Amino acid sequence: MNLQIESIDIRELKQGAKTSVCDHVLTVNEKELEEVLLKGNRCLKGVDIHLVYPGDSIRIVNLMDVVQPRCKIDVQDADFPGFIGKMRTAGHGRTRSLRGVAVLVANPYTKRHYSAFLDMDGKVAELSKYSRMRNVVVIPHMADDVDERDFEDAVKVAGLKAAVYLAQAADGHPVDEIEHFNLHLPTLPHDNNLPRVACYYQLYTPQHDHNAVSDKCFYGTDVRNLLPTVIHPNEVLDGGVTGHQTIRSLDTYTIQNHGVIKELYRRHGRDLIFCGVVCGVANMEPIQRQRKAMMASNLIANVLGADGVMTVKAHGGMPHVDAGLVAEECEKLGVKSVVSVQPLVSQGSLADTAIFSSNLLDAVVVIGVPIERIKFTFKPERILGGSPDTKIFTPDPFIQVASDSVIDTEEFLIAGVHDQTCGESITVREY
Amino acid sequence: MSAKKLRVVHYLNQFFGQIGGEEKADAKFSVKEGPVGPGVFLQKLLGEDGTIVATIICGDNYFSANLDRASEEALKLIEPFKPDVMFAGPAFAAGRYGLSCGQICKTAGAKLGIPAVTGMYQENPGVEIYRKDCYIVQTTNSAAKMTEALTRMVKVARNITSPVKNSRVILGDQIGRPSEDEYFPRDVLRNEYTEKTAACRGIDMLLAKIKGQPFVSELVMPKFELIPPPPPVKDMKSCEVALVSDGGLCPKGNPHKMSGRGNKVWCTYETPELFPEKGPLPEYDVVHTGYFPKEVLANPYRIVPVDILREMEREGIIGKLHPTYFCTSGNVTPNVVCQNMGEGIAAEIKNRQIGAVILTST
Repeated sequence: MNLQIESIDIRELKQGAKTSVCDHVLTVNEKELEEVLLKGNRCLKGVDIHLVYPGDSIRIVNLMDVVQPRCKIDVQDADFPGFIGKMRTAGHGRTRSLRGVAVLVANPYTKRHYSAFLDMDGKVAELSKYSRMRNVVVIPHMADDVDERDFEDAVKVAGLKAAVYLAQAADGHPVDEIEHFNLHLPTLPHDNNLPRVACYYQLYTPQHDHNAVSDKCFYGTDVRNLLPTVIHPNEVLDGGVTGHQTIRSLDTYTIQNHGVIKELYRRHGRDLIFCGVVCGVANMEPIQRQRKAMMASNLIANVLGADGVMTVKAHGGMPHVDAGLVAEECEKLGVKSVVSVQPLVSQGSLADTAIFSSNLLDAVVVIGVPIERIKFTFKPERILGGSPDTKIFTPDPFIQVASDSVIDTEEFLIAGVHDQTCGESITVREY
Repeated sequence: MSAKKLRVVHYLNQFFGQIGGEEKADAKFSVKEGPVGPGVFLQKLLGEDGTIVATIICGDNYFSANLDRASEEALKLIEPFKPDVMFAGPAFAAGRYGLSCGQICKTAGAKLGIPAVTGMYQENPGVEIYRKDCYIVQTTNSAAKMTEALTRMVKVARNITSPVKNSRVILGDQIGRPSEDEYFPRDVLRNEYTEKTAACRGIDMLLAKIKGQPFVSELVMPKFELIPPPPPVKDMKSCEVALVSDGGLCPKGNPHKMSGRGNKVWCTYETPELFPEKGPLPEYDVVHTGYFPKEVLANPYRIVPVDILREMEREGIIGKLHPTYFCTSGNVTPNVVCQNMGEGIAAEIKNRQIGAVILTST
C-alpha cells in the first residue's frame, strides 16, 4: 500500500467569511462549519464552535477526542471510512494533513467517571502538545430524547467531520512536507540481513465500557469480539482506526500519528524490515485471553514471519496482562519481544508496578506513569465544553470543579501529555 | 536556591546541641536562636541563601521514648519561627537520634508543608522508617564526615526549593535522582522526559535483543513467589465454603471506605443481610474503577455467587456456605499490599476453620 501524507503548517487561525487556507493562515467560517456538523445528525440540536490559541486563559473540559485535520485528496467520501466516509480500506492514496492545529471535541453531557481537559495557558500548557497548537473547539448540544451513548457517537462524528472540513479548505495551498508510507507486505524481502519487526497493537479494552456498550474505534464498528487480525499499518495512520469516547493517554490525533508504526516506518529498510501490524483487543476472561494470545502470536510468527515484535497497550491496567501474554507466546515461537507498559501506581519501585511476570519478558519500555499526581494553580477566564461547576476528577474524595483556581488531578486526564502509542519522549524513574 | 532568603530551623540532639553527653539524654526540648554546633557550618554552607533562625534541641531518650508526643512538642516550638525548610542532624549511625531526626522531619513536612532534610548511615533504623517521608541523605557511620553530610543536605535542600524547574522531570522541583543527589530512595515514581520517544527506545532495545547484544530494560520484572495450589478438598459434602471477592461489591454507601483504585482495605459482610434469601435485595455499590459495573449491579450474584452456593448447600454438594463474605477491591493495588490483605483474609479464614474458599475476580 502506498500512502502519501501531504502536510501543511498552519501558523495562524482566524474567523472569516470563507473557510480557506491562505499563506499558512486557516480561516474558518464558523457558521458554515456548524451547518456541516448539524446536517444529517439528528442527535444534535446545535454546535458551538470556538477558536482557541496558545496563551488564552481558557480551560476546555469534558474533552472526548482530539483529531488532526486530514482529508483524502482526489477521492470523495473516503475519510474515516465506516465512521463518516464510505466503507473502503483506509491507507492508500494522498492525504492532506494540517499541522499546528487540532480539533478538540467536547461532550458537555458526559456522565463518565473520568473526563479529560486542556488548558491553553498555565502549567498544563507546559505539558500538553495541544496547548501549543491553535485549536478549533467543537461542542455539540444534545437534541431531545437522545440516548447517552448515541449522543457520544454523534459527538465523535462531529469531531471527525470538522477535521475533514478544515483539511479540505486547504485545497491548492503549497505543501510543506510530503511523507511516503509505502509498504508492500506481500513482497517484503526475507533473506537480507535486516530483522523483520512487527507491531502488536491493542486497539481497545472493553473493561470500562460505559453503560456496558463498547466504543466504536475500527472502521465504524466496535471491536469487543474481534479476534486478532493482520492489518496494514497505513490503515491505522489514515483513519481506519480512531480514538475512543474518552481520552486516557489516547485520542484520534495520537493514533493518526501512531508512535510505534511511524518509528518502524522511519527505520524500515535501514535497521529493520517492517513486516506488519497485528491488532487485537484486551480481554476480560482467561480462556479468551489465551485464545487470542495464541492467535496473535501465531500471526506474528508464522504469517508475518517476524523476528521481533513491539507491543502497544490500550488504556488501563488489565490490558498489560494481554500484551504480556502475547509477547510471551511470541517468545515461545522464537520471536523476540519488547513490551511497553504504563505503571498505574506512583509509589514503590518500578518492579512493584508490574502486573505480569515472565522470565521471557526481559525487555520492557516504560512509557510514563499516567496517574502521576499534578497540582497546579491556574484560574481560567473562560471555560468551554462545560460549566464552571463541571467536575474535574481528583483521586481524593472531594469535589473539584472547572472554575477552581487550584486543580489537583492526574496527568492522564490532561489531553496531549501521555501517549500509549509510544510517541512521547517520557519514561519513569525511581526517586 | 529560592530568590527569597530561606528561614531554616535545625534540629539537634543533646550532644550536638552542646547540652551534654549520654547523661543528658533525658533532656527535654530547648530552643536557641541561631545556629548551634554543626549548625554553624550549616549556616556557612547556606550562605546568603538561608538563615538558621532557630535550633531545637532535645535529649535522645526523651525524644525516642515517645516519638509522637515529642514531635508534637517540637512542632509547637518550630511553628512560630515560620521556617521554609527543616534540617535535622545528621544522625549518622546513631539509632535514637536517627528516629528523632526522621520523626521531626516527617512531622514538619506533613504539618507545615515544608521540605525536610536529614542525613543517616544506611544501617540507621531511621532510614527504613522515614525515607519515604523526608529526604535522608546518605552519610558514613562516623560524625567525622560531618562536612560531607551537611554539604549533601544543603545540596538536596537547594534543589528542592529552587525556583528553577528541572527540565528532566515532568513535574516539580530540581531534585536529582537518588543516586545523583545521594539520598535514600523515597519510593516515588516520577515521569522524566527522555531524548528519544518510547517507540524509538523500544525498537532500539528490540534490535539489540534480536542481535544478541546487551540492552537495558526500563523495568526489571519482579520475581513472584510461586505458591503451589493447595490439595483438592477430599470431601466437599462436609466442607464449609467461604466466598472471597476483589470485585468491590459492597452495601450502598461503601461503609468500609474501600478505594476504587489502589485499595488497601478488606472487609466482611454477612450474607444473610447483604443477600437476603427472601424479599428484595438491598442496594449495592461497586467500588472498583477497573470495570464498568452495570452487569454486577444488575445481578450481584454474578460476582458473589451466593445464590448458586445456597443451592449447592441445599443439594448437599457442599457442606455449608459460610455466612460471611470477604470483600475487597483489587484494582492496580501494588503486589505487596495485595499480599498483606491476602494474609489477613487467610488468617481470618483459618481462624474460623473454614474448609475452602472460592475467589471471584473481575
